[in-house]
Amino acid sequence: MSRYKIVHTTGFKYEADVAASYNEARLLPVRDDRQIVFSTKLDIEPHGSSHEYFDYFKTRTLMFEVLEPHRELTITATTNVELRNPMPETPTLDWPSMAALVVSSLELTDAVAQTKRTSPPADLVRFAKRIAKTNSPHETALAVCAKVFSDMTYRHGVTGVHSIATEAWNNKIGVCQDFAHITLGALRAVGIPARYVSGYLHPSKQPQIGETVTGESHAWVEWWAGKWFAYDPTNDVHVLERHVVIGRARDYDDLPPLRGVYAGPHQSELFVSVQITKEG
Amino acid sequence: MLSRIAESLFWIGRYVERADGTARLLDVHLQLLLEDPWVDEDTACRSLLEVIGSDAHYPHQLTRQELLTILSVDRGEPSSISASLNAARENARRVREIVSTELWECLNTTRSRMPRKVSIERAHDFFGWVRERTALAVGIVESSTSRDEAWTFFTLGRALERVDMTARLLATSELTEASGPSWTTILRSCGAYEAYLRTYRGVPSATNAAEFLLLDKIFPRSVTFALSRAETCLSDLQPTTARVGVTDNALRQVGQLRTNLEYRSAPEILANLTSEMIALQTGVSEISESIRSRYFPVNVMPTWVGEVS
Amino acid sequence: MADLFDHYPFAQPSGGATPAFDEMFSGAGKVRPSYKKIHETLASMTQDELRGRTEALADSYLAQGVTFDFAGEERPFPLDAVPRVIEKTEWNTLEAGVKQRVQVLEAFLADIYGAQNAIRDGVIPAALVASSAHFHRAAHGIDPANGVRIQVSGIDLVRDEAGAWRVLEDNVRVPSGVSYVISNRRVMAQTLPELFQQMRIQPVGEYPNRLLAALRAAAPSGVEDPVVVVLTPGVYNSAYFEHTLLARLMGLELVEGRDLFCSGGKVYMRTTAGARRVDVIYRRVDDEFLDPLAFRADSVLGPPGLLTAARLGNVTLANAVGNGVADDKLVYTYIPELTKYYLGQEPIIENVKTWRLEEGESLQEVLDRLDELVVKPVDGSGGKGLVVGPRASKKELDDLRKRLIKDPRGWIAQPVIQLSTIPTLVDQGLRPRHADLRPFAVNSGDDIWVLPGGLTRVALPEGELVVNSSQGGGSKDTWVIGVDRTSTKNKIQTNSQVSSLVAGQTSADSGFSRQQEQQQQIQETKPNA
Repeated sequence: MSRYKIVHTTGFKYEADVAASYNEARLLPVRDDRQIVFSTKLDIEPHGSSHEYFDYFKTRTLMFEVLEPHRELTITATTNVELRNPMPETPTLDWPSMAALVVSSLELTDAVAQTKRTSPPADLVRFAKRIAKTNSPHETALAVCAKVFSDMTYRHGVTGVHSIATEAWNNKIGVCQDFAHITLGALRAVGIPARYVSGYLHPSKQPQIGETVTGESHAWVEWWAGKWFAYDPTNDVHVLERHVVIGRARDYDDLPPLRGVYAGPHQSELFVSVQITKEG
Repeated sequence: MLSRIAESLFWIGRYVERADGTARLLDVHLQLLLEDPWVDEDTACRSLLEVIGSDAHYPHQLTRQELLTILSVDRGEPSSISASLNAARENARRVREIVSTELWECLNTTRSRMPRKVSIERAHDFFGWVRERTALAVGIVESSTSRDEAWTFFTLGRALERVDMTARLLATSELTEASGPSWTTILRSCGAYEAYLRTYRGVPSATNAAEFLLLDKIFPRSVTFALSRAETCLSDLQPTTARVGVTDNALRQVGQLRTNLEYRSAPEILANLTSEMIALQTGVSEISESIRSRYFPVNVMPTWVGEVS
Repeated sequence: MADLFDHYPFAQPSGGATPAFDEMFSGAGKVRPSYKKIHETLASMTQDELRGRTEALADSYLAQGVTFDFAGEERPFPLDAVPRVIEKTEWNTLEAGVKQRVQVLEAFLADIYGAQNAIRDGVIPAALVASSAHFHRAAHGIDPANGVRIQVSGIDLVRDEAGAWRVLEDNVRVPSGVSYVISNRRVMAQTLPELFQQMRIQPVGEYPNRLLAALRAAAPSGVEDPVVVVLTPGVYNSAYFEHTLLARLMGLELVEGRDLFCSGGKVYMRTTAGARRVDVIYRRVDDEFLDPLAFRADSVLGPPGLLTAARLGNVTLANAVGNGVADDKLVYTYIPELTKYYLGQEPIIENVKTWRLEEGESLQEVLDRLDELVVKPVDGSGGKGLVVGPRASKKELDDLRKRLIKDPRGWIAQPVIQLSTIPTLVDQGLRPRHADLRPFAVNSGDDIWVLPGGLTRVALPEGELVVNSSQGGGSKDTWVIGVDRTSTKNKIQTNSQVSSLVAGQTSADSGFSRQQEQQQQIQETKPNA
């Protein structure tokens, strides 16, 4: 059991006054069996009205608007969350039973359909198919994760938020988001329902209690073979004590932390900072 | 009423009145200026273009036929009759559900029957046709529109444009000799000649004619009358029980403009007619701006820009 | 002289197949009973006479602005002077069929955006819904106030070679065309007044009242006297005329995106007296442009935050967002099964046989027979992107083949149906031309009301099977006749007392004014004329 405090500050700076802006923020961790969310607080500057709802993928979403001229928009999400970590059970379904169940579930069907971002590279698909011939869906998924981890190099600044799986794979360089998209593409190509998970990861393997560190948004995957199973291909680790989940969907575009529109025509510039403290 | 609709109605009023005014102005001056054998045709054409407010540059020598074409049927020239009628129709099209079918059909038919060419010989007939069509449009509104905001904005637009057009018409009197015959023609062009005769019972003098067109309280084409009407419209839009002064900018400006004319003598104004008329036109454009900011707040199409983290 | 039907081809052998069903003639010179009066009237008329009336009708449309843009030019909406007739008994079946169809589509949408039982029970494959371009996940959580998502629908029907009615496609997003039904009826009363007096034609003027009632019924709960507006993309939209006509006939504000703004989860319009709350929006803007925050960020046709306001239940959007999943042409193929599933009924009007290209051998079969089938994109409407095999060039078919192989989900195939024909005035006189029918249904939650008749669209080129005004299509007034109710309230009364009270300037003038007055009365007894 671990307790974290996360302070996520993000927003936009504009080159001149913007008369109005409307945004959606997805910065609040989900509440489920694994995560207990004690408190959440959202501060928006300048202040405007806001409405919270759960979107189609059950992500807590905050829609808010600013209807006065502003040059900067800042939103700060402060969360206290406790993680309980029952060792995940290994999904055991075989290929035919898995396929049969996908047909009559929209949730699983969404998870096998490729998106523009996850559309997988051909050589990785060949690899996944070869493994799938002699292994169970779960074993195949683990092998794909290992392959992505070993072939890819984690590096910032090469791919942007709009990058797609094939580009990152061809360069063999990317960030967590690329690792996740590549993995999803390969899993879906062999028929394993898999979804994109957005959240936070404490950067230290042995977090010190009470120490505030600079973190960042993180992404990993979950696949389904009878039950959902989470795995982090960027670090080739199980999702246990350090991963805080915001939401799960088809790919990044379904749950960017902040997305909106503002009255143009000026340029906007994004800023982000994440502070994580292990509190217990 | 939607701001966008109010704005369109206001402009339908202005454009209809402008088309009428331009037709009258041209009718007078094609006769006055261009039939004068001693006048320099090019200069006369250019001064008229200036009075009407055209910014366009015409590098070559202008002829009366060209002037007529430019200000009557050239759709590319914003001050032309054709452009005004087209703009009135476009505004009506945008508020199709508010304007009556009759008014829409009138404006639509006027636009579709707009000739592409007018020769000098046919000019008078053409101007007569324009006057008839605009009178029809106004008549339809007057006879079949409820006296609600729609009517008020339309009428307000017309009243302000009329002030502007009469001011321009008076300003043109300086383009030619300020002698009797020209004032007769000016009065005629406003349909004011007979009314004037009944009022003054005599040959038009510059002073009397200007006084009539500027200051007469009951002749509907006089500046004072049109300003009073604009004042009434603005008061109707914002009924107020305030005990102190006037809070609405536009209303204050209209009132100032009117009293500034009303409480001065005709010879005083006439002594400096051109600059007085320019001041009047500036006043109208300031009023128009106040109305826009009050009733049609920045309604420009927002361009939304997506942003994503 | 009476030359209108000269050389009328009574059985049209088209492509060697079964000839189309002609709605006026059952054989050479044999007129079907429902068309007897129309035929008599037309047969006594010369071509010139009918043409003269047709021109008057076009002039009237031009003056009223009942036009469509053709290559940047405003043309009068083409209305053929020969009406289509449907007997009341036959109409009763169509009406029931359309109602049933709307019920199924409503049930389907409620299910898909809710519990998704039909998917779980294996009635419709999840992949079909998931891959529909108009299944909008952003519409999740928007619950319509009175449960209605399809306030207005247009269910396109055709008659096959045997004369049997079939559903060709469903339109439950922003179906248009009803303004032409209303306008057509008005000018037809002036074009063929002799027929109007003889035949009891079910009126269409009730439509705006029905629509308004349905929109008001859809208001968020607790709003007693809702402010309803019509949202149009603007003056350059091809259906702008319809938007203005409906707004006018319902007495509602016609707003554009820039007239609206959202604040605090509510929707307001900008008026000269400040912001005014809006409760129901009859929107004629496509989903993708409705809310820049939820869909296309660059849209200027709708205000950002609109979906949030709808989700909060502060405004009702009619039709609902995301309805397009129900009129997807692949979902269409499941409507018979869904009718049984949701209603426990057999479909009253059958579908046209349709191949699903993703299933089994059907793609191969379709590819083999491409030159004899009609192939349509699943999310197009009004004939957009449609390819008629027998009329396509080899290159078109080759291109099509590649596209089908690349995206079998994106297309369906159907046999070429010789749509029924109706005599239509063309250069040579009256000739059979293929037509379809779009009845309009209005769902108020308490009742699904079907406008009697609907829009008959007719393809003007000989043999053309695609009816679409942008491709040389015309329209016909559609008359449901044989009113099965006894009503006297629509009878025209000539009140001679009133006309004698009209003061004339001179006594010689009174005959004229009386004639004028009666014409007025005839117009006034028509609904909403």
